[in-house]
Amino acid sequence: MIQMFHVYKTFGNDLEALVDVNLHIRKGEFVFLAGSSGAGKSTLLRLIFRDELPTSGQILVNGRNIVRMKPRAVPHLRRTLGIVFQDFKLLRDRSVEENLALVARVVGMPTVEGQRRVAQLLKLAGLTHRAETPPYKLSGGEQQRVAIARALMNYPLILLADEPTGNLDPELATDVTRLLLEINAHGTTVLVATHDLKLAKEAGRRTVFLKQGRIVEERRLEAPFKTTLDAKERDSDENIRGGVAHTPC
Amino acid sequence: MLEKLKHVFAHALINLVRAGWGGLASIATIGVSFVIIGIFLLLILHFNALVAEWKEQFQVSVFLDDKITPTQLEILGKRIQNETAIKAITFTTKEEALANFRRELRGQESLLEGLGDNPLPASFQLKIREGYQSPDALRRLSAFLSRLEGVEDVQYGQDWIERISNAARIMKILGMMIGSVLTLGSAMIVSNTIRLAVYARAAEVEIMRLVGATKAYIRAPFVVEGMLQGGLGALLALGLLFAAYRFVAPTFNLASPIFQAAGDPGFLESSMMAGLVGGGAVIGALGSLMAVRRFLKM
Repeated sequence: MIQMFHVYKTFGNDLEALVDVNLHIRKGEFVFLAGSSGAGKSTLLRLIFRDELPTSGQILVNGRNIVRMKPRAVPHLRRTLGIVFQDFKLLRDRSVEENLALVARVVGMPTVEGQRRVAQLLKLAGLTHRAETPPYKLSGGEQQRVAIARALMNYPLILLADEPTGNLDPELATDVTRLLLEINAHGTTVLVATHDLKLAKEAGRRTVFLKQGRIVEERRLEAPFKTTLDAKERDSDENIRGGVAHTPC
Repeated sequence: MLEKLKHVFAHALINLVRAGWGGLASIATIGVSFVIIGIFLLLILHFNALVAEWKEQFQVSVFLDDKITPTQLEILGKRIQNETAIKAITFTTKEEALANFRRELRGQESLLEGLGDNPLPASFQLKIREGYQSPDALRRLSAFLSRLEGVEDVQYGQDWIERISNAARIMKILGMMIGSVLTLGSAMIVSNTIRLAVYARAAEVEIMRLVGATKAYIRAPFVVEGMLQGGLGALLALGLLFAAYRFVAPTFNLASPIFQAAGDPGFLESSMMAGLVGGGAVIGALGSLMAVRRFLKM
């Protein structure tokens, strides 16, 4: 789903953000990208959604070489991705519902389908009762859940999350990680950049360690925690997929 | 498609309202620029009407030798009539010339006492075709006519023709120069206002980019906002100009005595007004594009 081959990224003349990064993430995988601040996690994510171009190397996303991609094709790449940030990036002057509906409008989703999708995702995020509320009246955890719901609006194949729990206290962070795991359980490939090893350990998923722009280690951390998505829910996952069977949530 | 258009216009209007005083200042400044451009347009329009009227009435007088014989007169008349530059020719006898002169001097007939014999010559009055009224062509025609037998003198308002032609040219050049500067200025004003609007919506623009909005989708509401500012500015200018033209100028006798004699061409033609508003919208759109382009460099 995501493949990086000998990727280098240098800012200016000598600031090496990424050095010879080779990374393969399979379809449906949940991967943590761990490392301290400045390790290159955010840069790596930004390369995947083509906010930056690598200095050298090739990147394939869903089979397409995005390094050679023409700028006008970038919006279409991004429509296959969901992106979540530490600072949520929600519009303060719009309600939760409107924040989600913005995506539907941007991608040209028919109004009725957009409304249906918003309702589904608010339900998934447990925020149906907050639909009319502006984001600044929500807790940090709720805001991040709104941001995740927004990222899912266009049925992305891949969800990229940059420190999604960075601004949250441990309990809320666990909630958000659980939500991400649920989303992954429905088939969406998830890549989460975090400096919080405890979370990665709790989730028990493959973790790629970055240090000074290099991948230094890769392993599955221990002790997975349970998602709320039990077997019965897994069988009928239509509240996320919304009837669109060919695309993951 | 309709949905998208609705979204674009709705957002442009919302942004314009959100821009508040900034938006109003932008519209007002464009309005002032367009008032100046409009004044020049009006001046050029009226001046052209004056020149056209003057050209229509313009004639060359060919004064004849008193000793000219009827045969010579007939040959001369035909010779002149055959010239391509001549549109129409009328003949004024010595007697008619004196009668005309008396008419012109009505009330001051005493001036004519002691004049003795009629000193006024017979003459041909020539109307000149449009394309032959340039100073050069008239000079050539005058030289040609002077050489003809029986012609004593050729007169036309040479100085006036040259002065009017020069004035018209200068006004056109000046109008174009001032118009260009003001147009550029207006575009920059819109650009700045829209840039503020883009910065105010930076978060939304960033989110739209991240969720896969095309540049055109992000740009469209800003461009429409710029168009609205430019178009409204031009409309405001037209309103002000019209009010000034109808109510202020006649009070000061600015326009009427000079122009109305020449047949008032009225306020700007509807096509010109549409052109001004359209021009304002285009300038607004361009200014807006300049602002958004810089911001959207991905």
